[in-house]
Amino acid sequence: MTSTHFDGLMPIVIFMGLAVALFVGGHFASVLLAPKKPSDLKSTAYECGEEPVGTAWSMFNVRFYVVGLIFIIFDVESVLMFPVATIFRELNDMGQGGYALIIFLSFISVLIEGIAYCWKKGDLDWVKSYQVSMKNNK
Amino acid sequence: MFHQILFLMSAALTLICAVAVLVTKNMMHSCIFLLGSLLGIAGLYATLGADFVAVSQIMVYVGGVVILMLFAVMLTGGKDFVSKAQNLLGLAPSMGNKWTFSIAGLVAVVFGLTSFLLINNVTKVVTIKTQNDEFVSTVNQLGHLLVKNHVLAFEISSVLLLGALVGAAIIARPKRQ
Amino acid sequence: MNQTVVTYLAQYEFFDFLLKIFGQNTSLLAFLIFFLIAAVIVGIMATVGGLGTYAERKISADIQMRMGPNRVGPYGILQFLADGVKMMTKEDIMPKDADKFLFYLAPMLCLVGVFATLAVVPFSAGFTMTDLNVGVFYLIAISSLVGVGVFLGGYASNSKWSMLGGMRGASQIISYEIPVTLSILAITLLAGGMGFGTIIGRQEGLPTNWYIFHNPFAFIGFFVYFIGAMAETNRAPFDLPEAESELVSGYHTEYTGMRFGFFALAEYIEVFVVCGVAVALFLGGFNLPFHLEIDILPIQAVQFGIFFSKTLALYYVIIWARWTFPRLRVDQLMSVCWKYLTPIAIFNLIGCAVWLVVFNGHSIADLIFGSH
Repeated sequence: MTSTHFDGLMPIVIFMGLAVALFVGGHFASVLLAPKKPSDLKSTAYECGEEPVGTAWSMFNVRFYVVGLIFIIFDVESVLMFPVATIFRELNDMGQGGYALIIFLSFISVLIEGIAYCWKKGDLDWVKSYQVSMKNNK
Repeated sequence: MFHQILFLMSAALTLICAVAVLVTKNMMHSCIFLLGSLLGIAGLYATLGADFVAVSQIMVYVGGVVILMLFAVMLTGGKDFVSKAQNLLGLAPSMGNKWTFSIAGLVAVVFGLTSFLLINNVTKVVTIKTQNDEFVSTVNQLGHLLVKNHVLAFEISSVLLLGALVGAAIIARPKRQ
Repeated sequence: MNQTVVTYLAQYEFFDFLLKIFGQNTSLLAFLIFFLIAAVIVGIMATVGGLGTYAERKISADIQMRMGPNRVGPYGILQFLADGVKMMTKEDIMPKDADKFLFYLAPMLCLVGVFATLAVVPFSAGFTMTDLNVGVFYLIAISSLVGVGVFLGGYASNSKWSMLGGMRGASQIISYEIPVTLSILAITLLAGGMGFGTIIGRQEGLPTNWYIFHNPFAFIGFFVYFIGAMAETNRAPFDLPEAESELVSGYHTEYTGMRFGFFALAEYIEVFVVCGVAVALFLGGFNLPFHLEIDILPIQAVQFGIFFSKTLALYYVIIWARWTFPRLRVDQLMSVCWKYLTPIAIFNLIGCAVWLVVFNGHSIADLIFGSH
């Protein structure tokens, strides 16, 4: 049985397994060594000496979600750009560097427009300025 | 031999986590099982030799979509995330009902086999010769295809992304009171 | 073919001898070799992580004109072992209304995300565990598991401080992935490949071949990458998610004992990996300053040492930055990322692409000194 190129993926799985093993081992060690005296006071959430009121799982602001959306768009964009960037040098050596450059730049410029739009409309601000939100709502 | 082990592990992870997404009543746990399922799919891509697709699956889905879903769940807030949904007849949640699962699963299997048989008779099945000792990275091939054969699709995808960005920004903007 | 440690070792006769023992089962032998070296690397990294805490305390003490730990062992160097033992013996408290499953899972996700990156870090030419063709891309992809871990740690604790820290931490990590990815894209463009072997192979020779000196865009790209990577690992001045003076301890407030130890370990190892990537991409990796045709084991050791010393130099800079700058507010954090770093990174990418086409890929040193 010869080794295939998939053997190169073994270290990844091995390292993940070792991380889990380390975690379980450490946990086991603390189960053996650590005291176990749960009390009512110890298991309340820490709030700098005050009594915690209410649950923490309340509704959050929408700005986190907007950041996540913008991130996904740019993530997909960079994933699409990786293969083109990989062969860019090759194409340049073949004499088609200008062509590849035009393709690359037109791809990026569309996304520059996207980020410029979000910037102008105030989606990138963590705290929306009053003028921007008034302008948006008119 | 490692190839088979990797395939079995990824397939098991995908299937078990996919079932768990549907069965758990807690929405946050569902999101995390979805993460496991997507990691399993990335492993399946890796067993096929599609290294770039596997890594981009991890990058976009695990790094982006799962976190976005977690944020979205937090956005809705609510007392807790346990589902108390019931179906029309007032029975227990149909998400977790074992009869629903069995019947739906059976239907899916029958449908899949039937369509496979139909399509198999119509088109020729092409066997792909997997070369085990020569491994050409798929990234260069993808790059060449994107730049030569599918340039228009590549550029239009950037416009599509722009549309998605603008649309998402507009929808997520807080409305006027 | 992916270069791995096993293919490197296969060139020695000792390998054939081992192969005969295992009945010509190359997969099994490969697995055992990988496992052995992986265990060694995990041990080294855990030590590096522990020594990182010691180094941080000593360096911060130096900056603040005090002594730092100097009692446990000579010059206090065994302090991290004492800390480890202490953490193991602390009680494992779980908050009353916490989400048990996610509470257990969060540190494990952080650990898995960080350890899986160790498989592609280029320690030396022969001892890269596996030189994937998509090496650096895989590394940034799998580090996003840490973001999920941070979020879950904050969420599962059911404490308002932790929740805030977790949400901010996750949004910080995902935001700063963009400038980091764009800087790495620029280097991929210049090198013509994503694998670490390709990228480091192009930086052979004198330090003028390093990508940081290749063109002004890559020079700025190094700093964009460095700042983005500091923010990704939640290091100061970007450590709002674990802000000590604001959110108590952010997303790991409710974690005690060994679980907190795993969060801290994951953070220190991640800083090391990120510095290692910066060294590999911009500072020439493990290359010696001169070309050598022979490839024997001592050369590997020298390369290993070179890589380590460059990485530790960057590690020192990161620790130094923590005790020098004040913390950024959360809106400043986001605006630095989206309004400064991302446009600069896009500008770098365009600049590198244009440079590649106009100057045919030569570096500034090549152009000035004319050695085509």
